[in-house]
Amino acid sequence: MVRRLFDTLIMKLPKGESKAGWLVLALLIILILAPLLSVLLQIIVPGYFWGNRQPGQLDLLLEVFRRPFWLRSFQNSLIIAFSTTALGTLLGTVLAILRSSWDFPTAKWLDIAAWLLLVTPSFIIAQGWILFAANDGVASQLLGATFVGDFIFHPSGFIFIMVLCKFPLAYLAVRAAMSWNVESLSQSAQLTGASSLTIWLVIRLPLLKPAIRSGAALVFMDSIGDYGIPATMSALYRFPTLPYAIHSAIYSSPVRFDMAGVLSFYLILIIMLVLLIQLYIMRNTRYDSLTAGAVRSKQRKLPKHAWLVTLGNILFLGVAVGVPIGCTLFISLVHSPSAGFAWSNLTFSHYSELFADRSMFLESLLRSLTISTVAALVALAIGVIIAYVLVFVRFKLKAVIEVTTLVALAVPGVVLGIGYIFVWNQKWLEPYGLLLYGTPAILVLAAIAGAIPITTRILSGMMATIPRSMLDAAQLQGASWMKRAIVVLFPLCKTTLLTAALSAFGISVFDLAASSLLFPPGQMTLPVMINRAFENMSFGYAAAATTLGGIIVISVIVSINRLAKLELWRKQ
Amino acid sequence: MKRRYAIGLLIVLMLQAGCGTSSSLVNDNSKATITGDETDLTVYLNDFDEMIGPLFEEATGYKVNLVQGGGAEILSRIEAERGNPHWDVVWLDMISSIHGLGMSGMLYEDYTPDNASKLTDVYRSLVPEQRWYYPTSAHAASVIVYHNDELSAAEAPKSWEDFSDPTFNEMIGIADPTIAAPAYSFINWFFYKDGMDSGKQMISDWLNNGLSIFPKNPNVAMALLSGQIKIAALQESNAHRLIQENEKLSLVWPEEGAPASVRVAAISKDTTKLEAAKAFVNFLLDPATQQAIIEASDEAYHEPSVEGVTPKLDRDSGAKLLFADAMSSYKQEAEIKQWFADYSIR
Repeated sequence: MVRRLFDTLIMKLPKGESKAGWLVLALLIILILAPLLSVLLQIIVPGYFWGNRQPGQLDLLLEVFRRPFWLRSFQNSLIIAFSTTALGTLLGTVLAILRSSWDFPTAKWLDIAAWLLLVTPSFIIAQGWILFAANDGVASQLLGATFVGDFIFHPSGFIFIMVLCKFPLAYLAVRAAMSWNVESLSQSAQLTGASSLTIWLVIRLPLLKPAIRSGAALVFMDSIGDYGIPATMSALYRFPTLPYAIHSAIYSSPVRFDMAGVLSFYLILIIMLVLLIQLYIMRNTRYDSLTAGAVRSKQRKLPKHAWLVTLGNILFLGVAVGVPIGCTLFISLVHSPSAGFAWSNLTFSHYSELFADRSMFLESLLRSLTISTVAALVALAIGVIIAYVLVFVRFKLKAVIEVTTLVALAVPGVVLGIGYIFVWNQKWLEPYGLLLYGTPAILVLAAIAGAIPITTRILSGMMATIPRSMLDAAQLQGASWMKRAIVVLFPLCKTTLLTAALSAFGISVFDLAASSLLFPPGQMTLPVMINRAFENMSFGYAAAATTLGGIIVISVIVSINRLAKLELWRKQ
Repeated sequence: MKRRYAIGLLIVLMLQAGCGTSSSLVNDNSKATITGDETDLTVYLNDFDEMIGPLFEEATGYKVNLVQGGGAEILSRIEAERGNPHWDVVWLDMISSIHGLGMSGMLYEDYTPDNASKLTDVYRSLVPEQRWYYPTSAHAASVIVYHNDELSAAEAPKSWEDFSDPTFNEMIGIADPTIAAPAYSFINWFFYKDGMDSGKQMISDWLNNGLSIFPKNPNVAMALLSGQIKIAALQESNAHRLIQENEKLSLVWPEEGAPASVRVAAISKDTTKLEAAKAFVNFLLDPATQQAIIEASDEAYHEPSVEGVTPKLDRDSGAKLLFADAMSSYKQEAEIKQWFADYSIR
């Protein structure tokens, strides 16, 4: 009888590729949904995880429309997210197309700049801009320009900075998808007399839509969930956002997890709405244009006006990267930021302090690098499966997977951090060795959860260009799933896999929010250590740690990228 | 074959779960064992983490693991861990919030350390009836710091009332009381002093005078250094540090005094290391410990809570601290923060 029961169970198990869908869902539940739902549960039953079973105040859900602070936060978040997405995606796409199509002096700096901006935490970028634009700041000292401050310390200024901070996500997503070029399509158009512009508008740009959409989704999620920039920039002109309101709910006394749950709920609602609109727009369209005739994109030398483009690039990089990073570098090299540019003010003491006995720099750097490496690799593997399911598999809960992967990026890290404590600190997990809170494993899990959206989006943008028929043909020849993945998918996605893994690595190293709540006793991560220095007013030390840590991370990313590209070209 | 393995695995898992459940039922009344040695004490704190560990270990032999973070972060961690606390002792400059932990039944009660007899009268009166926590020091939640280049000593504000003076319109910045713990202790005083309405009037006058609000104290300091604001209300330890490193800044201790931020130590009700935890709290009340902290730390600009300890020499000995009642501060916290958030966005 047991055997018959078991047979029935086996029959009901998912077959074929939908197995991958269920696996992915299970992973996402463990890594993202369970922690998130545990915070949302606080709305219905606050204190569920410490034995309270009294229902909460459900009318808290309507408070968003009654409390001026919450309503304004909600509105501001929408304004910032939509403006940043529109402008950031445009900027990222244009730059990616420029970089992928043309070769000009300083072109490679764009890639490095994108990585740099991706890796640097947003509150550092915001601080850099404050130093630049303030009354006694660099702008007024060097350029005598006070209008900079008037522009920057205003909502349009925050959006300007957000765009400069978030565009790399769109840039990297589109750049990854442009690694292949189906020349035959453009060539046929040329034969019929189409101009370059027409080819771009009618053929190449539409085919980039999945990548642009992925990039836009990433920019939207990252900007709506950004706490650092609006919080740091808005002082006189109060511009609270949903993440800021969530922080104030969590940092109140008594702590209001139910309020944080309500605000997170609305954040998720916005995300779902945006995704639904996107899905509706993209319904019934196909982008799988990659054929056997596709070749690796090669940059052509600009025929004329290369100097103009180079100049524009340098100016752009000067503003986007030079200002925030430059100002951080400045703080790390002076005794006192307010004393300005004077030889007597210069010092390397902040850097030498990093290597002093009681400094936690090296230890926390190593810890963060290890955690991020593991997280990037695991997130890559999971991202591949998720992207595959989203693009190729007919699975009824695809929408759930899609929303979950993006939600992890949008929901403030502090909410996920609290959720992780709720889920992984339960007493009943202890006998199974699964009480992970209080161990380094929890940091790795949280980092994976934070990295999954990046790898998934970058990979799915690329996979959407691969026709199903390629995989079907291989399957007809008898290739197993594994063989299809290795022989068909992998060669096409090599560059994208690398970009995805390095992006995930870069974004994890400096992630402060979740790790500040989860780090085990005596085991600080790099961003926690930097934040501690900042809170102790050791601005120079914090800036030096950020700069040196950032240089190391970027060096790792750029060298691996270079090595891998050399290997790729060698094999071809 | 595969089926047999699967059935076997299923049975093994079910047995495991059953055993796990029954053993967890047996252990239900005891605490979950946390990784680490039985003698390792876990302390959650926001300041002085660099020296307190080695000092305590040397004096008592107990090993201590520290979790350092912002005050508000530590409290949210404690609250989130409530079902299975990992902390033994909490040591924060947030007396009203710790009082709240006591009200929620999370603190060990009725402990009187030996060194409690050395508390000065002012600090003894701050110990609650249930003896949930003991004060180890107090510092000014805010003092006034201003730019010398912009304002002379005569022009600079002298009291908290001056924050609503139109002369200082759009010049002043404070930290956000809804995010930064010391900023709440700061504005709470004005609600405690003369009542809710009076407090609302005072703070709304400040806001109407173009007050800038930054998330936390370091952001306020950055803004002052970069010239974004000319006057700041900064926590005492931060203020002294800034003054020492920047000649362009000066400090004013208002005539009427500065609202106090009281640092207290409390033991978790669920601690499995009670002896070590008691030793830690007692250690903090030892005059020798308090003196050692003052001498070793650049941040230790505060008034000690026990007799026979000399504060930092460059700290004004006449500096007046204003103490609000912890219970009423805790009770009115939600209302004040909500009002502040809603009013500040007008």
